[in-house]
Formats: sequence, structure tokens, C-alpha cells
Amino acid sequence: MKSFLKNTWKHRAHVIMAMPAFLVLFFIMYVPMTGLIIAFKDYKPMLGIFGSNWAGFDNFKFLIASKNIFKTMTVNTLMYYFIFTSIGTLLNVTLAIAIDQFIFKKCAKVMQTIMIIPVFISYAAVQFIVYGFLASEQGLINVTFGTTTKFYSEAALWPVILTIVKIWKDTGYGSVLYMSVLAGIDTELYEAADIDGANKWQKILHITIPSLVPMITVMLLLSVGSIMKSDTGLFYQVTRNGGGLYPTTQVIDSYVLNQIVKSSDFGRVGAASFFQSVIGLLLMLIANGLVRKIEPDDALF
Amino acid sequence: MAKKNLDLAPSKKDKFGMGQVILGICLLIFTLFALAPVWLTFISAFADELSITQNGFSFWPKAWSMDGISTVFKYGKKLYQSYLVTIFVTVAGTFLGLLFMSMYAYSISRKDFRLSRFLSIFVLIPMLFNGGQLSGYLVFCGWYDLKNSLLLLILPLCVTTMNVIILRTFIANSIPQELMEAAKIDGAGEYRTFFQITLPLLKPSLAAVGFMMATSYWNDWQNAMLYIDAKSESKHPLQLLLVNIQKNIEFLLNNNNVPPSARAAMGNVIPQYSATMATVLVVIGPIMVVYPFFQKYFIKGLTVGSVKG
Repeated sequence: MKSFLKNTWKHRAHVIMAMPAFLVLFFIMYVPMTGLIIAFKDYKPMLGIFGSNWAGFDNFKFLIASKNIFKTMTVNTLMYYFIFTSIGTLLNVTLAIAIDQFIFKKCAKVMQTIMIIPVFISYAAVQFIVYGFLASEQGLINVTFGTTTKFYSEAALWPVILTIVKIWKDTGYGSVLYMSVLAGIDTELYEAADIDGANKWQKILHITIPSLVPMITVMLLLSVGSIMKSDTGLFYQVTRNGGGLYPTTQVIDSYVLNQIVKSSDFGRVGAASFFQSVIGLLLMLIANGLVRKIEPDDALF
Repeated sequence: MAKKNLDLAPSKKDKFGMGQVILGICLLIFTLFALAPVWLTFISAFADELSITQNGFSFWPKAWSMDGISTVFKYGKKLYQSYLVTIFVTVAGTFLGLLFMSMYAYSISRKDFRLSRFLSIFVLIPMLFNGGQLSGYLVFCGWYDLKNSLLLLILPLCVTTMNVIILRTFIANSIPQELMEAAKIDGAGEYRTFFQITLPLLKPSLAAVGFMMATSYWNDWQNAMLYIDAKSESKHPLQLLLVNIQKNIEFLLNNNNVPPSARAAMGNVIPQYSATMATVLVVIGPIMVVYPFFQKYFIKGLTVGSVKG
């Protein structure tokens, strides 16, 4: 203990340098964690979080009793996580390898520059761009194909639409992280493979992809922590928050946001939030445990 | 063999062939897919309103017009205010975030600093477990009483786990430990070592992370929607302008600001679609202009290494 204090004193400059970020994290991330107890409270705005009476599991009972809402948003949250993560990872890696393999580097650079652009457009803006494509009368798609599909009331189409929007927005930028790994591969590996007579595909399969695996694992693990969270803007803005689309587009985050804006029964919303945070944590711990068993070096902690 | 390839990186020596043609076509298709919606926005902002209402959106309108853009400039003071708010939040947030996070990342990457283990875990936990939107809302507005404060647009995006990890990875991998030790031997204090040796070497990572931070500040509509009242218009950032755009355009056009003659000149057509797209363009434009200058740092500066440290 004494040596620990001595070490800390010796590094007091580092303690001071870490302090500002520490305080921001404490007040912005840690203090609100205590707010989660609202899930077990009969929340009254006048009484505040701690002042309100305990409600036991009533909020959860209400939440689960409203079967449709709760089940729909949980299923949607998980469904979109799996669609986005699987397709996203596959496309990010494929694109990174494709750009790396293309021999016209200048050209690849320009294309990559364009592909990254969509990530910089906010969902508040994306919604109008998507509307330009999907509007029932003026929308580009209906005009081009001479159809009159009312996209904004066809819930069944939205899983596909949102997936396309997500791919459009995030793939270009998502590949950047993997490209930074590709840039770091020791070229001697490829030379050795050449000498051994490996062809293009063999090199990709046995050198390029294996060197990406640690990064893929880290990114997947990091994403598991937010498995119950969604890209709120995608579900709230891009769908124009249309009630008719909720069966396929309502996720926990957009539900919570909606309820806050409407300032409705916070107790029940708190229960949904609590569920989201705790399940997210559990899944994260399980995933990390699995990875640690298989490949200890790739585990997060 | 080695002689032939002296000036070429071995992995790039592939010959031009059918495979490259197919690869090129695929990349081109994806590029067009990424570009098309941006192009549509740009074109529609300058399209004639009548040609949109009658023929729909298109990649090349039948008629052009500046009505959309001129409507946007009728926002006048409101647009100017929103720009100021967004620019202030973006600059202040990015600057503070980069400073705080790089100091934090530097501290936890000191080898014999025993507290660094705790600090690494401390920054990791919020990614695994946090209070969520509702608790944040109640705590920030109730306990801290910060509703309508620009601080709530700055602080929540200021320090993020991912960015600390990226910065620490860069410090660990790309900045030689010996440099810092040499500086110390030469008599530089801890702070001086950090600000004069480490920080300048951290530039590629700071540029990449900083640009991504700036983008997330610029694009943040959610915190603005939650924490800034509809009434306090002088604090509305650009994204709120977009969220409330429908209301805004109608207000503009029903407002006395637009003289009847001007409205008649527009053919009594409310430039709704083109004005919307023009507003989108005004909001996303600055990022598009700045982005190419930062892109070169992306691959160098954005590497994620071991999270454990």
C-alpha cells in the first residue's frame, strides 16, 4: 500500500493530467448510472428520482404486460443488430481488401474519398435524402419505375430500406479501420508467399484475412456491448418516426426517446432502459468470456 | 527477382488483368451508390420547384432555379445564430475533448504508473454499462439543472471510450518510449514532455480523432432535441433547424418577411422540396469542404490496438 501511494505521488503529474477526462466521465457517464433505479420507483417528477416511492417490479410488470410494444422493440433491436453487424463487418472487410488489391492507387484513393462521405451526413439530414428517393409521388424510385408504392406506410419494406441506408452510410468509413491493419502487414510475408508460388487468392486467404482477424474480433466484441443500443437517428429520423412503421422499426432507443419527448410514464421507460443496460452488460460479459477461452489475447478484459 | 521489384511494394506488383477490371467495376458501382444520394441532394437544391412537384426528384432536373437557396437565406438571423451555436459547440467540444483525452491516454500508457490499471478500466466501463438516455436526461436536467445549457451539447460527446483507446494505441505503437525518457534526462518536466514531445508526435491521431469528433458535434441532433427548448431559439444548433424544417419553411413563407411580389415571382409555389434540400446542403456543406484535408490522416491515425493496455 505504501509503495502504491509512493508510486502515485511520483506520478502526480499523470494523475493531474488524467483528472479532467476522469471528472467528465464521472459526471456524464457514472452519475447517471444511479438514475437507473428509477426502474424500481413510482416516479413523480415533483419528488425526483430518490424521493419517489419504491414500486418494486411494477414497472417491469407493466412493461411486459404491454406485450406488443415490449416484444416488438426487443426483437427489432436484436434483429437489426445482427443484420447490421453481420452484413456490415462482411462489407467493411471486403471493401478494405478490394481497395487494397486494386492496382490503380490514385483511382482507389478518389473512390474511397467518395465512399466515406455519407458517414458525415447527420441522420436529421439523411431523412430528407431518403425522402427524395421514397416519397410516394415525387420520390425518385416511384418516378423512375412508374410505381406508386407508399413506402412510408409499408412497414414490411423497412428492414430492407434501413439496411440499405446503413450500408450506404457506414461501409466506406467502416473499412478505414481495416485498411489501417492492411497497411501494417509485413510485406515480407507476401514475398515469401510469392516464392512459394502462392496465387492471389491463396495470399488473400492465408495472409490478408488472418491478419484482419484480431481487429474483427475487437470490433465485434466492442459492438456486443451495444447490442441493445441502436443508431437512434436511423430509427427515429429516417423513418420520420411514423407510427405505422413501428412494428418493424421501433427499437428500444427510439422508444425511450419518444417517451422522453412526450414526457410520459418515466417509470416504465426506466424499466425498458434498465433492461437495455443490464442485458447489454450480460451479453458483453458472456462474449468476452467466450473469446478469452478461445483466444485470450483478443479478449477485451 | 528481387532486383525487378526494387521500386514496387511486393503486394502491389500484380499485373493488370481481367481480375483488376472486374474489381474496378465493382468499386465503381459502390462509389456511385455512395455518391448518388449526395448528388440528388445537391441537384435538388438547385432544381425548380415546379419540376420537382410535377416530374418528381431526379438526378438531372428539367429546370433550374435559385429559389430553394434564396429561401434558405431568408432564415437570416436564425441561420446565422444556428451556425454560431454549432461552430462554438464543435470547436469548444473538439478542443476540450482532444486535450482531455490525449492527457488521459498519455497518463494511462505510462509503464510504471500503478494507478493506470484502474484508470484503464474506468474508461472502459461506460462502454459496457451506462445509464442510457432516460437517466442521462433526468440527471442532467434534474440534478445538474443544466437544461438549455450549451454544456449539455458539449460534455456528453467530449470523452468517449473508443477515442481514448485510439489515442492510447497510437501513443503505445507510434511514439518511441525513448524519446520521452530522453526528454526527461534533458531535464524536461512531465508537462513539458507531454506538450512539447508527445503532443506534436500525436498529430496524425489527433487530426483523425478530432475530425471524427467535430463531425459528431456538428451532426448531433439528439442532445439538442432533448436538452434545448423549442423556445430558446438563440441556442438552436443547425441540426435542430433541420429537425424543425417543415415548421420553419412554412413560417418563413407565411411571414411578412416575404413580400407578396416576391411570392408572386415564385409563381406562388412554396419551394418546399428545393428549400428543404438547400437547407440540408447548407448544413452538411461545411463538413464536405473540410473533409478532404483530413482524410490523409484517417488510415494512419485511426488504429485500435489492445483495449486492455
